[in-house]
Amino acid sequence: MHGEYKVPGGKLVVVDLEVESGKLADVRLSGDFFLEPPEALDLINRALCGLPADAGEAQLAAAVQAALPREAELFGFSPQAVAVTVKRALA
Amino acid sequence: MSVRTYWNDYDWQLIHAGPQPPALHMALDAVITDEVGAGLRPPTLRIWEWSEPAVIIGRFQSLKNEVDPEGARRHGVTVVRRVSGGGAMFVEPGNTITYSLSVPQALVQGLSFQQSYEFLDGWVIRALHDLGIKAWYQPLNDIASESGKIGGAAQARRAGAVLHHVTMSYDIDAEKMVQVLRIGREKLSDKGTTSAKKRVDPLRSQTGLARDTIIERMLQTFQSLAPLAPAQLGEATLEQARRQAQEKFSSPEWTALVP
Repeated sequence: MHGEYKVPGGKLVVVDLEVESGKLADVRLSGDFFLEPPEALDLINRALCGLPADAGEAQLAAAVQAALPREAELFGFSPQAVAVTVKRALA
Repeated sequence: MSVRTYWNDYDWQLIHAGPQPPALHMALDAVITDEVGAGLRPPTLRIWEWSEPAVIIGRFQSLKNEVDPEGARRHGVTVVRRVSGGGAMFVEPGNTITYSLSVPQALVQGLSFQQSYEFLDGWVIRALHDLGIKAWYQPLNDIASESGKIGGAAQARRAGAVLHHVTMSYDIDAEKMVQVLRIGREKLSDKGTTSAKKRVDPLRSQTGLARDTIIERMLQTFQSLAPLAPAQLGEATLEQARRQAQEKFSSPEWTALVP
């Protein structure tokens, strides 16, 4: 499943994922955003895997936020934008 | 490290070598920036020359979402992934003006990401004004003019240093570009256009000047800001870049890091 969301005034966020037994699996975030440190991409992917497929935007965004190291910097997107994109992939 | 420095606190190096392959350019950015971060070399402005056409995708972009492999093959385009985020670009030799600033973190100390883009793009905006182009920094990371986008910047933060590189369009084969890059509607949804082809207005048509002349004028503007001396890369630096180009930046694992 595939979702895309262009953050207004920001960058493109893309999510590919599967749903297995009602849970998000194999979540792959991509896009033309900026993220420091770059390794945080994997942390976000891992944080989303296993969440219920009917999780709300707030829960998804909170999971992304919690996975980020304290010094992480997101430029052109946000945990909320990732959540919106996940919901679009699931729609 | 709490004190912010200024352009002319440094003696800058200018690196402008002959045409080099895409993977080596990716590696040179990483190696030079790491040397600046380690205090092994002064802040460096590098002008790129391409030996072959290339698509350069951003660090976080999906290879298969961004590149049409059949189009790339048909046009002999090499696909590489860079260390910075941002969007895919399509370059052909002589078609773009691409440059990298490798600067100590101190130069952008205390600035937000957005402020640092604007700050590090500032001298180029001034150079474009001197060439008669009403250009401006367009957040988040574009250089824009009244008649369209001119270029885009991307940054990567690496241990004590910032890599800020920019590609400006000098001339463009827009037809070929859309055969090589996949540019979806969602991406253009807030750009006021549905055509990627119409978004870019290159420097050639805006200035009527030769590419070399524009680069020369840019360097003059930079030199009004800070001392800039031409230099050659040392053999050790080149050797390390060649090794990274071969082992990392040419590898399918890196290029497909985000499949």
